[in-house]
Amino acid sequence: MMQKLGDFKLPAFFNYPPYFTLQPVRDTREKQIQLWKELILDYCRTQKVFLILLEEEFPLFSNPVIERSLNNEARETFLSALVSEGRAEWLDKGHRKCLILWHRIQDWADIILGFVKDNGLEDSVMTVEEIRLGIESRGTELHGMDRTILMRALKLLEHKGKVAIFKGTSADDEGVKFSV
Amino acid sequence: DQYRLLGENVAKLRTDLMKEQLATFRSQLEDFARKHKNDIRKNPTFRSQFHEMCAKVGVDPLASNKGFWAELLGIGDFYYELGVQIVEICLATRPHNGGLINLQELCNLLRQRRKSNREAVSEDDCLRAISKLKVLGNGYEVISVGKKKLVRSVPTELNKDHNQILELAQAQGFVTVDEVERRLSWTSGRAIDALDILLEEGLAMVDDGHRDRKRRYWFPCASSISSSMGADS
Repeated sequence: MMQKLGDFKLPAFFNYPPYFTLQPVRDTREKQIQLWKELILDYCRTQKVFLILLEEEFPLFSNPVIERSLNNEARETFLSALVSEGRAEWLDKGHRKCLILWHRIQDWADIILGFVKDNGLEDSVMTVEEIRLGIESRGTELHGMDRTILMRALKLLEHKGKVAIFKGTSADDEGVKFSV
Repeated sequence: DQYRLLGENVAKLRTDLMKEQLATFRSQLEDFARKHKNDIRKNPTFRSQFHEMCAKVGVDPLASNKGFWAELLGIGDFYYELGVQIVEICLATRPHNGGLINLQELCNLLRQRRKSNREAVSEDDCLRAISKLKVLGNGYEVISVGKKKLVRSVPTELNKDHNQILELAQAQGFVTVDEVERRLSWTSGRAIDALDILLEEGLAMVDDGHRDRKRRYWFPCASSISSSMGADS
């Protein structure tokens, strides 16, 4: 019987208590980390979660059915493993905030380029918010994406000369000119 | 000298008679097999009884993949295929259970994997397939722990202490140090040593999350958690 979190199917290991304790034996721990990394990425990808705050109740960190919770060390270990392979980034030195890159920044950059081409936006200008929340992006992966990640992808594209970012009319919204 | 000769003759006569009887028996067995080929293929109980009959006559239908039996029954292929699938399942579940899996669970996973196959698979079939694997030197072995049978697919040797702990774990899927000490009348040192080895071998995992703060040692081979883990077809 597969347990679900919303409509997300949880893997069997999630119901096995020892997986919620960081394993002391190296080989076992490595396998455990692998399972948790995959679970975290899958969950974040399907639920469009971009940020995990370690001290808050992230649904994956506890399983009330078996009355187990990952302690802080375990949470940090699993997320650090994701960071090591470029699938996440710590936003603070204390390792309490973690940006999840279920798409790498490069992947997001490619998605933006695809979006521009699909919508004939080659020489247009859009605001960052429009990219994220506008009508054009509805139905695409860009819609509702995290602003921090979007900015990073845009900066990467700017570095490659594909876009130009400039200050907008309102205090905190920037504009993007595509020169794809 | 004469008696010796006589003795030898009698022995030879007996042997010849026996050989003849066996030959008759064998051909009757072959007839039987031919007639009941479908039953043997489809019905695990029937199949098991057929194997017993063969064993009594000294015939091993699985001895070779070629020849009469293999062609007639295709049974060699059946067990060969099972063997391959069993190896796959053991490899897939090894990260979780360290190379020790409950026979019942192995069979369940096998059946899940063979869902589309008309041929039903029994625990007896599994055991036969595994015994063939053993002959191939794959290091597969069936061990008994309490009332259960476990299939071992790694070279890890388990001693009596380990076996006793595994048996204890059958009840709830885990043990605590206290429990081991109490139930087996061991010292704390002996319990911890044995548990540490089982941990190192990947046969056990620790769990410190229970609200009673006691460390639990879980044994994947004593639970059926891997039903949906890594062994899906």
